[in-house]
Amino acid sequence: MAARDFRNAEHLPNLRPDQQPASPEELPRQRNGVTPQMHGRYPDYNVLDESEHWDEITRRLVFERVESTPPIRFFTDAEARTLGMFCDLVMAQDREPKIAVLNMVDAKLFEGQLDGFRYADMPEDRETWRRLALGLDAAARQHGAGDFAGAATDVQMRVVDALAKGELRGEVWDEMPPAKTWKVVSRAILSAFYSHPWAWSEIGFGGPAYPRGYARLGAGQRENWEGAPAFETDPVKDTEQRGVQGT
Amino acid sequence: MSRRHELRTLLRGALRPPDNDSAFLLDVHRRAVPQERMARYDDSYPVDLVIVGAGAGGGTLAQRLARRGWKVVVLESGPFWDPDEDWVSDEAGSHRLYWTDERITGGSDPVELGKNNSGHGVGGSMVHYAGYCPRFHPSDFEVRSRDGVGEDWPIRYWDLKPHYERLELELPVAGDYWPWGDPHRYPHTPHPIAGGADAARDGAKKLGIEMRVGPVGITNGSFGNRPHCIYRGYCLQGCKVNAKASPLVTHIPDAIEHGAEIRAHCMVTEVVLDDASGQVTGVRYVSDGRERFQRADAVAVAGYSIETPRLLLNSTSRRFPHGLANNNDQVGRCVMVQGAPQVAGRFPDEMRMYKAPPPEICSEQFYETDEQRGFVRGFAIQTVGPLPIEHAQHIAGHGHWGPALREYMRDYNHWYTLGILAELLPQPENRVTVVSDVTDQNGIPVARMDYSQCENDRKNIAFGKQTIHDIFEAAGAQDFLITDRYAHLVGGCRMGSDPEQSVVDADQRCWDVPNLFIADGSVMPTQGSANPALTIMALASRLAERLELKRTGSDSAARRRRSRRPRRRAPIQAGGG
Ligand SMILES: Cc1cc2nc3c(=O)[nH]c(=O)nc-3n(C[C@H](O)[C@H](O)[C@H](O)COP(=O)(O)OP(=O)(O)OC[C@H]3O[C@@H](n4cnc5c(N)ncnc54)[C@H](O)[C@@H]3O)c2cc1C
Ligand code: SF4
Repeated sequence: MAARDFRNAEHLPNLRPDQQPASPEELPRQRNGVTPQMHGRYPDYNVLDESEHWDEITRRLVFERVESTPPIRFFTDAEARTLGMFCDLVMAQDREPKIAVLNMVDAKLFEGQLDGFRYADMPEDRETWRRLALGLDAAARQHGAGDFAGAATDVQMRVVDALAKGELRGEVWDEMPPAKTWKVVSRAILSAFYSHPWAWSEIGFGGPAYPRGYARLGAGQRENWEGAPAFETDPVKDTEQRGVQGT
Repeated sequence: MSRRHELRTLLRGALRPPDNDSAFLLDVHRRAVPQERMARYDDSYPVDLVIVGAGAGGGTLAQRLARRGWKVVVLESGPFWDPDEDWVSDEAGSHRLYWTDERITGGSDPVELGKNNSGHGVGGSMVHYAGYCPRFHPSDFEVRSRDGVGEDWPIRYWDLKPHYERLELELPVAGDYWPWGDPHRYPHTPHPIAGGADAARDGAKKLGIEMRVGPVGITNGSFGNRPHCIYRGYCLQGCKVNAKASPLVTHIPDAIEHGAEIRAHCMVTEVVLDDASGQVTGVRYVSDGRERFQRADAVAVAGYSIETPRLLLNSTSRRFPHGLANNNDQVGRCVMVQGAPQVAGRFPDEMRMYKAPPPEICSEQFYETDEQRGFVRGFAIQTVGPLPIEHAQHIAGHGHWGPALREYMRDYNHWYTLGILAELLPQPENRVTVVSDVTDQNGIPVARMDYSQCENDRKNIAFGKQTIHDIFEAAGAQDFLITDRYAHLVGGCRMGSDPEQSVVDADQRCWDVPNLFIADGSVMPTQGSANPALTIMALASRLAERLELKRTGSDSAARRRRSRRPRRRAPIQAGGG
């Protein structure tokens, strides 16, 4: 794998003709700890290595996310199949290891945890998710598929994209505005995914920082324990140093 | 600026603020507010004042009046927070800090409530506010006369100025010399800023835009028993360090020391009116599932711009069939939010915007009306430091999901974010109402808020958004992500000089109910482009002064002397809390 220089921004979707990134398979494999799908920009950085510097309450909360996946209790099996596929697409989780986003969403809905508001023309959040499952199937059928989970990947992508752009129509979507549905469900999905320490390691986020705090605030600076991006690590020297076999 | 204030400023944080020992009453070894010596009043004891809500307005008012010897009970629906035990350095885990009961949001430009809006618990929304503490400009109090929009306030900037000065010492506020509005200094020196803020400031300079550090309610150096900020960036999740100001650490300890009772986990469901006298007699509230009634000589509602109108609208009586103080259909009207779009800029260096407090630098250069821009009033520019979940939502707001969103998030460390606060104008149809067929766990109808922008609002937001985009461009940003959002929420029970057009008078007293006061952000007739918390506190501080003035001449001088140390002498009874 060629080292990439992330000082320039060519990899960013806005700057690419198709608005899509290159395959993340070109990124380094994670060597320390776990990241979702095992790729990331900070292959030797595992935020959980820092947990001895966190306060006990925060540590317990964060470790619970890693150590116990809540069972599906709110959704039916059929809903879970459709929505599990949907969450994977929204977060681009195409293989293991995956953050169990739907289980985290399910737990929140099962416990009746609300976000503190509901749009006047939307049902309450629990009902929104159930209708989303129906609406995804309905939209997939408009493309000739039997249902959403069984549809071809490009159909699934088109359906999700139309939802995100607020462009779904017919059946469920004539009663529940797609743009607001997207706001409600994407909020829950992103909160689940980026609350998980695997995702923090992937993006090189410093994580909880109490009571240690941060001291090096300047551009291009990092604390001595914060992860170095991949391009700063010479693969040859690195494998030698760590006594592992390079390929 | 008075000479005395100037002198204090020179001495920076070395001095105690006058008449407020909160920072010194905190414990050195734990973060929780000591409550062992707190007074407990019995429900049947007619306290001088019951305050609904222990937030920016309620907390400040309680401290001021307790200092003056008033017997005050504050009923707060949320918990009495212990930062050590209850708060986490974690975005998703901070859910409990927000007001998460159901609310309905409508209109053509609906406002997302929840975590972006109001708090719950002792300290109120300031527990998870960012920490910006600017003053309003003198012009904010007279926009109708100057610009022909909105409403003039029944008071002027100069009425609040002494309270601003006092509060800036109490919080304390740190920042550069402030050249905008009424120019002034801050008691604490500016905090260091992170790389991203540096870049933004340079970019702005190239365009002739000046950005200055602060003003933030975060101690720079220790302050009493509150330690220095550790730059961990979790201000919006509650400051576990006690470095960031909120009433929980700035006013509640001193209020308790002077005999106020802060009664947590008490949801007020009705302000009770005696139809015969037309006066309020106390409040009904629910605690531990049990309904109770606290008697009081006067009531001040400080529940935030949604809950305050909701409580009044749900308090009906023969005299006020449409809600307390609402015979002119003004309660709930003219709620306002600020337009707060954000632009993130991408830099070659890693900026790691999760470090340092999110509020770093600010510009008020575009605050006042400039006719060439094609709209009236203006906006402020501020930094915001979104943590991963917030930044992911920003990216989704720009329109990315799936592989593109993941790629942008992997690039998180290279980004930095600026936002604006645009002054949106008050409109009567932007209002809080109650929905009779949707109720909360106590059977009380929930609030509905409708919000729509006007043409001036849209132009203001668009101009501001372009300006911060230009700043990043000048700073050498390589890519941009843009998202629309709102911030802050004030108004809904505005003060005014005409009873037909307002809910309270210049002393924040309800026009039709002589012993009912509103003491939070809902009294604001307009909102400027400044973050509201300091002004809400200043209003509460002034209200306390007005209330005390009203009492002087009766028995209050004697009373004041008598109750200098009320904790030990007041007829406090057990079993009240
Ligand atoms: C994410 C975020 C960032 C912010 N950043 C800033 C900033 O940088 N600078 C700034 O100036 N402002 C900021 N704000 C806004 C600021 O925090 C609020 O405007 C301010 O705290 C409002 O003060 P208040 O007194 O009106 O209400 P609050 O401080 O919200 O207090 C109201 C209290 O009343 C309680 N309550 C409500 N109803 C009842 C009832 N019926 N019975 C009992 N108790 C009740 C609530 O639980 C709450 O504790 C921010 C807000 C948020 C959400
Ligand atoms: S950055 Fe400073 S003020 Fe903000 S939460 Fe951390 S210690 Fe508190």
